[in-house]
Amino acid sequence: MLDHSKADKITSDLLRSIRMNKSFVVWMGILGISLVICLYAYTIQLREGLGVTGLRDYVSWGMYIANFVFFVAASLIGMLISAVLGLSGQKWITPITRIAEIIALAFAAVAGLVIVSDMGHPERLLNVFMYGRIQSPIIWDVTVVTVYVLLSTLYLFIPLIPDLKICHDKIDNITPLQSKIYKLLSLNWKGTAEQVALVRKMIRAISIFIIPVAFGIHTVTSWLFASTLRVGWDSTIFGPYFVTGAFVTGCAGVIIAMYFYRFNYKLGDYLTDFHFDKMAKLLVLVSLVYLYFNLNEYMVPGYKMKKFDALHIHDLFVGNHALLFWAVQLGGLVIPIILLLFKKMRTPKPMLFIAIAVFIGAWFKRYIIVVPTMEHPFLPIQNVPLNFKIYTPTLTEVLINFAPFVLVLLIITILSKVVPIIPVQETIEEFEETHK
Amino acid sequence: MSSNEEKPTKKSRRDFLQQIGVVGLGSVLGGSAIMAGINYDQKKKASDRVKILTAENELMEVEKSALSAVSKPKAEDLAYLQKHGREGLAGKRWVMVIDLSKCRNARKCMAACQDAHHLRPEQHHINVLKMQETKNTPAYYMPKPCQHCDNPPCVPVCPVDATFKRQDGIVLIDNERCIGCRFCVAACPYSSRIFNWSDPLHEEEDKDLVYNVELNVPQRKGTVSKCLFSADRLREEKLPYCVSACPNGVYYFGDENEDAVTNGTTKETVRFKKLLEDNGGYTLMPELGTKPRVYYLPPKGKEYPFQEKDKEEAAEHLG
Amino acid sequence: MLRRKFNLKISISFLLITVLSIPAFAQGWDVPEAQKSKNSNVVFDAGATKEGESVFTKNCVSCHGNPGKGNFMKTLTPPPPDLAGDKTHNLTDGELFYILNTGRGVMPSFKNILSETDRWKAIAFIRSFHKGYVQVVSKTDPEKSKLVKINVSFDEKSNKVTVDVKANEKTGVVALKETEVSLFAKRRFGNLQIEKSGRTDANGVISFNFPKELPGDKEGNVELIVKISNEAYGEVESQSKMKLGIPTDVPSLTKERSMFNVMKKAPWWILITYFSGISIVIGFFIYMLLNLKKLFDLGKK
Repeated sequence: MLDHSKADKITSDLLRSIRMNKSFVVWMGILGISLVICLYAYTIQLREGLGVTGLRDYVSWGMYIANFVFFVAASLIGMLISAVLGLSGQKWITPITRIAEIIALAFAAVAGLVIVSDMGHPERLLNVFMYGRIQSPIIWDVTVVTVYVLLSTLYLFIPLIPDLKICHDKIDNITPLQSKIYKLLSLNWKGTAEQVALVRKMIRAISIFIIPVAFGIHTVTSWLFASTLRVGWDSTIFGPYFVTGAFVTGCAGVIIAMYFYRFNYKLGDYLTDFHFDKMAKLLVLVSLVYLYFNLNEYMVPGYKMKKFDALHIHDLFVGNHALLFWAVQLGGLVIPIILLLFKKMRTPKPMLFIAIAVFIGAWFKRYIIVVPTMEHPFLPIQNVPLNFKIYTPTLTEVLINFAPFVLVLLIITILSKVVPIIPVQETIEEFEETHK
Repeated sequence: MSSNEEKPTKKSRRDFLQQIGVVGLGSVLGGSAIMAGINYDQKKKASDRVKILTAENELMEVEKSALSAVSKPKAEDLAYLQKHGREGLAGKRWVMVIDLSKCRNARKCMAACQDAHHLRPEQHHINVLKMQETKNTPAYYMPKPCQHCDNPPCVPVCPVDATFKRQDGIVLIDNERCIGCRFCVAACPYSSRIFNWSDPLHEEEDKDLVYNVELNVPQRKGTVSKCLFSADRLREEKLPYCVSACPNGVYYFGDENEDAVTNGTTKETVRFKKLLEDNGGYTLMPELGTKPRVYYLPPKGKEYPFQEKDKEEAAEHLG
Repeated sequence: MLRRKFNLKISISFLLITVLSIPAFAQGWDVPEAQKSKNSNVVFDAGATKEGESVFTKNCVSCHGNPGKGNFMKTLTPPPPDLAGDKTHNLTDGELFYILNTGRGVMPSFKNILSETDRWKAIAFIRSFHKGYVQVVSKTDPEKSKLVKINVSFDEKSNKVTVDVKANEKTGVVALKETEVSLFAKRRFGNLQIEKSGRTDANGVISFNFPKELPGDKEGNVELIVKISNEAYGEVESQSKMKLGIPTDVPSLTKERSMFNVMKKAPWWILITYFSGISIVIGFFIYMLLNLKKLFDLGKK
């Protein structure tokens, strides 16, 4: 039997966040100002050229590309949680699915902009569609990221249809326009058995279809590197290496978001310690897989020490990039794995710090993949100024790299202000099922 | 959940038609792509002869190959320059031979190149490197232009077909189309590509010049630039800028199809294959499978010693 | 004190370098007597000087620099002299001509690169920097070279090119014996010499072994250039096209389908993979949109 009072409580709890408040306005203001500052930095680059960055002829890919890879990586989590775990029948993911989907959509949508910031002629972006040469991994990347963004939108939207109807019916302190939009987007949702079946069928179809596409986006992104002959990139395991790395990034991102929602939206009853524990275990699992790929990626060339591999490995292990390399490998991967083996650490607060470490480590990991390789071409770097040999990002460049983060936060903030970040309908259904 | 996993057993006629439509659309798209490929080959054959209007206003049909031989580039016509720049010279396969035993690091080649292509002092289409392979092997000077590979790693990665390989083997960059993604820079194992990070050297002076893809002048901010084998000079039957500028007889340049290369300094013409055979010619990093069109003769019997002051720099890359 | 020592060191080493390199300077050109007195048919007037300047700029400036400017390539050994200098001034026209013809070390031989007239014009330009120089014009008759007839023939069996040099004098046809003959195959950027230059026999005939595997054009045609040099008749050049090379018609490097070719000539596998992928994706989205419409319609009931 229906427990109306419980269902009502769930509904009101989960819809509580959808309203204007002071902190939201302040937060949006901060984000807006940050975005303006970052965009100002970008106008400098547009005017002066990419010379305002630390990039030069030899290290011609740097922070922007690392940032791009990071954004694509972070967007993969939607697929892992909703599709892989969902299809395998994991029930605990229900309150996390939408968070994961919002993160996925935000990062994937912004990834495309990150790559534009790296272009010498962003106004010629349309050339990619007019003169596209499909032999180029960039074309595959553009294709597959676009598909993933569209797919993620659907994946966010379709499970949201019943909730949109609930929003329309249950939230009263919103503008008529917003109400109308809810109504429109809920596509005549009545909750009939036929409709429920159809929605489930669609979700299932996307769940299956999104898996190869998500693998595709990050595999193709890894091919931007693996398709070259460069030392450190010329690797056959780059696809899975990147994909597993992406899961680590995404898990950390979701944990940070969960913590934030749990405390700011007062959702302790829904994002429970149990969910955090599960996420911690998932993070350990994907980190272990990633560690395994790291071992392969560095040990195999490190064992043979071919001339140019040796230069590269030397640079990472004990050379110029050693500090960053070990900080990332130990602080962003090994130590988090060890810590999360302890039950005490698998609680929200310690997990927040661990997840932040993993998240930051994941960003620098991309930097470590991109930059040292570019500093070690096959032929010596000579007859050029010193700043051609060693890459140091400039302030302008760093600011421009912050813009996409601000944008992601904006998208996530706005989305979580207009839709319930925990699926209402599904939570009620699950509650009913468990209390039959 | 399980009850809903059952697939509908009866499909409506409409559903069926929809699915047919989806499959059909897919096939049409795939098919049209394949047809485009076939048509391209056929079209090319048909257009081997082209119609031209002579100065006397007579319409004539001529062989395409003959056309490129008689006509002179009209400097004012961008479309003309672009078209010819992309096609290249029919029946030619340019090769360069660099005799390392003769190089004295005079760098006249670098200067002539930078002058011709309006490059900044730190921008090199050709760069004379101080090389040393292992600790006990000798150091030597090695001029390094673009290798104009027959299997160029830089070309397929270009998403907009801005960089391309021509029928005569030259790899060029069209800075009217380049989006500045620098994938080609990352893909080149010879570090042969450079980028215009800020305003080019002669930004103001070159403003009104018509862009010549065979010279890559005017240079453009935010685009890639590279060695062009002086494609504009080859069209005029002249040796490349660097080749003619060398005072030490380092460079030979010619057409593989003629089996002859001409020394830029002595102007002596010799058999290409015999030159390689007699002197142990080789290519850079053949293990990468790039098939360079630039060949090297080993630095054997150097008349000019490797300078003491350069030894440290050469040894830096030993690892 | 220290500085003085240092300066002394420099001076000594400088001295040593100078002394050691004297032999290179001193090693004059060993010009045969007969060549020394050779004079030009070309009159060194303003026109010749001007044309000579362009020859000079293209072929000589890179090493010798502009005469009188001292901007020659100092790093070369021996350093190329500034041609406005006394050393050059004191050479006879014949000596200059000989040097230009033969070359030495880094200096190329221009005999086969420039025509006789161009070589003299270059000398005319150099002479324009020499104050007090007065030209002695050659007494040989330049018109005589027009009488020379060169006949080139090819024998397929022996693979030999035979050059027959004659002069149509009023008195009758004269075989030009002891005439230096060089044979070249024209290539894109220069002329490929076939064997060494030789001298004609008593009948004015000389044969060259033609290499068997020299590529020609599509039909195997090779453009031959014969240059003769005779004391009395001067230098004469003749060109002829003959079918004695390997027919060469190699395909364009962009003919085959390949990864580096334009998209329309990409390998089949990549075209098929990409477009089938796109088709599947479009199909899926259409399927989803139809389902969404169905969902919408279901709600209307």
